[in-house]
Amino acid sequence: MVNKKLLSYLLVAVFGFVLFYFGTDGFTAYTSEAARVNQLKEDQPLFPEVTLEDHAERVYPFSEFEGKYVFITFFYTMCGTVCPELEKNMKEVYEMLPDDGLEDDIQFLSISFDPERDTPEVLDTYREWLESDGETWRMARIPDQQELDELLDRFGVTVIPDEYGNFAHNSAFYLVDPEGRLVEVMDYQETREAAVTVMDRMEGGGGK
Amino acid sequence: MKGIYYVLLLYAFLMLPPVASLMESVMIIHMHMQMTLFVIIGFLLAPVLQKKFPRFFEEWNPNGIPGILLFVIVIFYWTLPRSMDEALNFWYIELFKFISLPFLAGVPLRDSWRKISPSLKNGLIILFTLLFILMGWLYIWSPNQLCNNYLMIDQITLGWGFLLTAVCMIIYLAYSYITDFAKTV
Repeated sequence: MVNKKLLSYLLVAVFGFVLFYFGTDGFTAYTSEAARVNQLKEDQPLFPEVTLEDHAERVYPFSEFEGKYVFITFFYTMCGTVCPELEKNMKEVYEMLPDDGLEDDIQFLSISFDPERDTPEVLDTYREWLESDGETWRMARIPDQQELDELLDRFGVTVIPDEYGNFAHNSAFYLVDPEGRLVEVMDYQETREAAVTVMDRMEGGGGK
Repeated sequence: MKGIYYVLLLYAFLMLPPVASLMESVMIIHMHMQMTLFVIIGFLLAPVLQKKFPRFFEEWNPNGIPGILLFVIVIFYWTLPRSMDEALNFWYIELFKFISLPFLAGVPLRDSWRKISPSLKNGLIILFTLLFILMGWLYIWSPNQLCNNYLMIDQITLGWGFLLTAVCMIIYLAYSYITDFAKTV
C-alpha cells in the first residue's frame, strides 16, 4: 500500500517532468516562436531562389547578393505597430556597423510581404523615411506570390491577415550567410546584441 | 447512469474536426471553453471509471494527492502559450489534448477532490488564482505576440478572461471565508 502510494507520486512527478521537458524542448522554448527560432538555427535553411523588385524598380534574383552576408527583415509599409519599430531598430544596427563592412561585406534588405500594396513607389517613400541610401540598404517586394510564400514558409514567418487589411506576423532579424544559408535569427529588440553577432560573423571569415 | 451516454456524445461531438477547428479559431474559446469542457467531461465520466476500477483509484490515489498533482501538472501544461499553438500545428498534440484533459485532469480531479482536506482545497484555489492572475498579466501586457496562430487582440481578450476567472475565484474564497467565520461565531 505504502509502496504504491510512493510509486504513484514518483510516476506523476516523472510524467510531469517528461511532459514539460518535451513540451518546452528541454525548458528552452515556452512559446512556439522561441521553438521556431531554435529550430531555424539548427536547420539553417537555404534562401530560395526568388525574384526581387526593389524600391528603384530594379528586378534581380536573390543570388545578386551572393558572396555577401544579407541582413533581412520582413515587413509591410501599412503596418502601424511592430514594423516601424522593427525597421527603426534595423537602422540602429546598420549605424552600429563599420562603414567599410557595409560597402563590401553585408547587404541590408527589407522584404515586404504585401506585394500588392507595396509597389516600388511606396517602398521608396518608406526608404526615404528611414533615410536609407537605397544601395547598401534596399527595400524590396517579391511580386510572385508563390515565391513569397515559399520563402516565408522556409524562414518560418507566419503572416495572418486580419479583417482590417493588416497582418499579424512575427518579427526578427535574419542573417543569411554568403552561401545563401540562414545562419542567425536575432531578437529585433536587442540591437546592440544583433550588431555584435553580425560583426562576429563577418570577422569570423566567409564575408570576403 | 444513462447520462453517461450524453457525456460520451458530447465528447465525440467536441472532437469532430469541424467543431474542434471552429472552437480553436478563437483563442479564448479554445482555452476557456473547449479545454474546460474536456475537463468537465472527464469529471462527469469519473464515477463510471471509479465503479469499474475501484481498486485502481484506491491503491494509486489513496489520499488524493497524486491525483491533484497530476491535475495541476496537466492544467499548467495547457496554459503554456506554446501548447496551444502546437495543438493547432500538430495532430498528435491535438490528440494528446483530447485525451489528457478529460482523463489526466478531469478524472483525477473528481477522484481526489473528496479525499483531500478543506485547507488543501483552498490552497489549490489560491494557487490557480495566482496562476490565472499571472497568465492574465502575461497575455495582456506582453509586448510580444505569444502565439503565432492568433492575433494580438485575441491574446488580450484571453488575458482578460484569465483575470476575470481569477476575480471569480477571489470572490469565492472571500465568500467561503466569511461564511465559515459566521458559523464559528
